[in-house]
Amino acid sequence: MDPSTGSGQASEKPAQRHGTSYEAAGQFSPDAVAASMQRNDGGFGRGQDTYYDHPVLRKAHWRWEIVSYFFVGGAAAASAALASIAHLFGDAEDEALVRNGRYTALAGAALSSALLIKDLGRPERFLNMLRIFKLKSPMSVGVYALVTFATTSGFAAMEQARADGVISFDPFGWVPKRPRVAAHAVSSAFMACYTGVLLSATAIPVWYRGRRHIPAIFVLSGASTGCAVQNVLIGLSGGSARTSKKLETIEVLASLAEAALLLDYERAAGDPGKALFGGARGRKLKTYTLGLGIAVPALLSLPSVLSKRRPEKPHRLRTLITAACALVGGYVLRECVVYAGRDSADDPRAYLRHPE
Amino acid sequence: MSERLQDGVSAGPEMGFFTDVTLCIGCKACEVACKQWNQLPSDGFALSGDSYDNTGRLSSTTWRHVAFVEQMDRETPEASRWMMMSDVCKHCTNAGCFEACPTGAIVRNEFDDVYVQPDVCNGCGYCVPSCPFGVVAVQQKSGVAQKCTLCYDRQKDGLEPACAKSCPTDSIQFGPVEELRAKAKARVAALRDQGREAHLYGVDGEETRDVGPLNAFFLIPDRPEVFNLPPKPVLPSKFQPEAYAVGLLAAMTMAVVGISVFRGFREESA
Repeated sequence: MDPSTGSGQASEKPAQRHGTSYEAAGQFSPDAVAASMQRNDGGFGRGQDTYYDHPVLRKAHWRWEIVSYFFVGGAAAASAALASIAHLFGDAEDEALVRNGRYTALAGAALSSALLIKDLGRPERFLNMLRIFKLKSPMSVGVYALVTFATTSGFAAMEQARADGVISFDPFGWVPKRPRVAAHAVSSAFMACYTGVLLSATAIPVWYRGRRHIPAIFVLSGASTGCAVQNVLIGLSGGSARTSKKLETIEVLASLAEAALLLDYERAAGDPGKALFGGARGRKLKTYTLGLGIAVPALLSLPSVLSKRRPEKPHRLRTLITAACALVGGYVLRECVVYAGRDSADDPRAYLRHPE
Repeated sequence: MSERLQDGVSAGPEMGFFTDVTLCIGCKACEVACKQWNQLPSDGFALSGDSYDNTGRLSSTTWRHVAFVEQMDRETPEASRWMMMSDVCKHCTNAGCFEACPTGAIVRNEFDDVYVQPDVCNGCGYCVPSCPFGVVAVQQKSGVAQKCTLCYDRQKDGLEPACAKSCPTDSIQFGPVEELRAKAKARVAALRDQGREAHLYGVDGEETRDVGPLNAFFLIPDRPEVFNLPPKPVLPSKFQPEAYAVGLLAAMTMAVVGISVFRGFREESA
C-alpha cells in the first residue's frame, strides 16, 4: 500500500469532523508521512535533535483581527498624540489637525475594541478581562490601556464637538483637565507600545528575540501611519499646507528610524529570525514595508521636507500616494510579524537550540 | 498539615505526577482514560508514520500524549532502543500561561496545580504562545483554553487522576510531589547502578531555571530534546522589562520629536 495515499485520506477526517482546522490540519499530510517514513528507514540512530520535527510550541490563533487591531490601535494612538501636541504646541493653523486627530482617535479606539472583542474565543466574556489587573500580563495591561485610551479619547472628542458646536454642552466637561490630559498621554504611549510587548513577552523565538526592537518598531510604525492618516484628512478638510509639512517631517523621521530598527532586528534575531526575514515573508516585508511603506514615501516627501520655502497649498495627490504607501507598509509589517510567530512556533529547532 | 482557606477548601500537600519513561510500554491507556474521564473528543484516526505515535502532540482535547522514540542502530542492533513517554502538562511552579492570563481564569488550585476555569476564560489565546512547553490550546468549539486539569474533580473526591489510575506499569505515578521526588531519585540511582542512563527532567536541572520545579516531572533515559522537551524552557514574563523600556522610550522620543517639529515651525513663523 502506498503510505502517502492511504493515510492521506484518513488525515482529512479529524479536521472535518471536529472543525479543529488549526489543531489538526496539516499535521498528518501525506507528504509529512512520506518524509517521516524516509527518516525512519532503519538508520535512525541516537542523537535525534527533535521529536520527529513536531513543533514544541503552540501558535496563537491570531489572524487578521489582531493584525488590524495592532494597526488601527497604533495609528489611533499616534493620531491622539498628534492632536494633543498640535493643541499644546501648535499654531492656529493646526486647528484642523486637532479636530481630525481627536475624532479619529475616538473612532480608532472604538474600532480597536471591536476587533479585539471579535477575536476572542468567547466575545461575550470580554468584560472578564476587567475583573482583575495583572502587571505581569501585557494582555491585561493592554486592555486597561485600551479602556483608558478609549475613555480619554471620548473626553477629547466631546470637548472638540462642543467647540465645533456639534453638541450644546460637554457631558464630561466637569472632568478635571490636567488628570484627563495626563491619562490620555500615558494611555496613548501604552497603546502604541504594548502590542509589541505583547508579542515580545511570549515563548515564541522570533518574537522574544525582537524584544529590544518590536515594541519600538510598532511605536514608530504607528507614528508614521498616524501621520499618513492625518495628512490625508488635512488634505480633505482643507487644512493648512504648513500643518501638512509638519506631519510629513514627523512621518519621514519616524519611518527612517523604523527602517533602521527593522534591519537591526534582522541582525539581532539571527537564525530564529528567518521566520520573519527569510523566504517569501522576508521578501514581502522588504518589498512592502521597507520599500513601498518607507522608501517611497520618504523619497516623495523629502524634497518638500528639506525645502526652506514656505509651502503655499497642500499637495493632495502626493499626500494621497505617500499615505497609501505608508498605510500598506504599516499593515504588512504587523501582518508579517504576527504570522512569523506561527512559523516560529512550528519550528522546534528555533526554540530547542536558541533559548534565552 | 492542612491549612483552611475560604469556601471550605483545604490546602494540602502539592500533588503531581512522576512519569517514568523506562517503565512505559506505550499502551496509551492513559490517553484513553483521560479522554473518557474528561469527555474529550477523539482526534480521529490517522497514521503519522512516526513509530506508533498517531496522536502527534498535546492539544486542547489531548491532555496525555504518548511519544514513541525509536533509536535503531544498524551496526550494533542490540544497542537499539524504543522509548515511550507519556507527555502531559508540566504544572510549572512559575507557569507562563498563569502569568499571561488577563482574566484570572488560570489559577493555582489547592493541590498546587495549574487549572483553567472554563467558565471564566474568554478565549483571548494569550496563554497559548506564553506556555514554554506548548501545552495549553484554545479549543474552537468551546472557545476557551483547555489543558490537563490534573483531574481536579477526581482529586477533590480523593481519587487519583484517570491516567495514573489506568497506567498498568506505574510509569505514571500520582502523589505528593515531595514523595514522588524521593521515589524518582531512588529510581535514578537504581537505574544507574544497572549501568543505564537516567535523568530527571523538572526537579532541579537546568530546565527549572525559569519555570521552577515542575509538579509533573519525568525520568528520561536520553537528552530532553529527543522527547521535544525544551532543555531550557523560557518564562516569557522575563522579557517584559526590556520590551516596555524600549517601547516607552520610543514613544517618548516620538513625543519629543513631534513637539520639537511643531515648536520649530512656530518659531520660524514668529
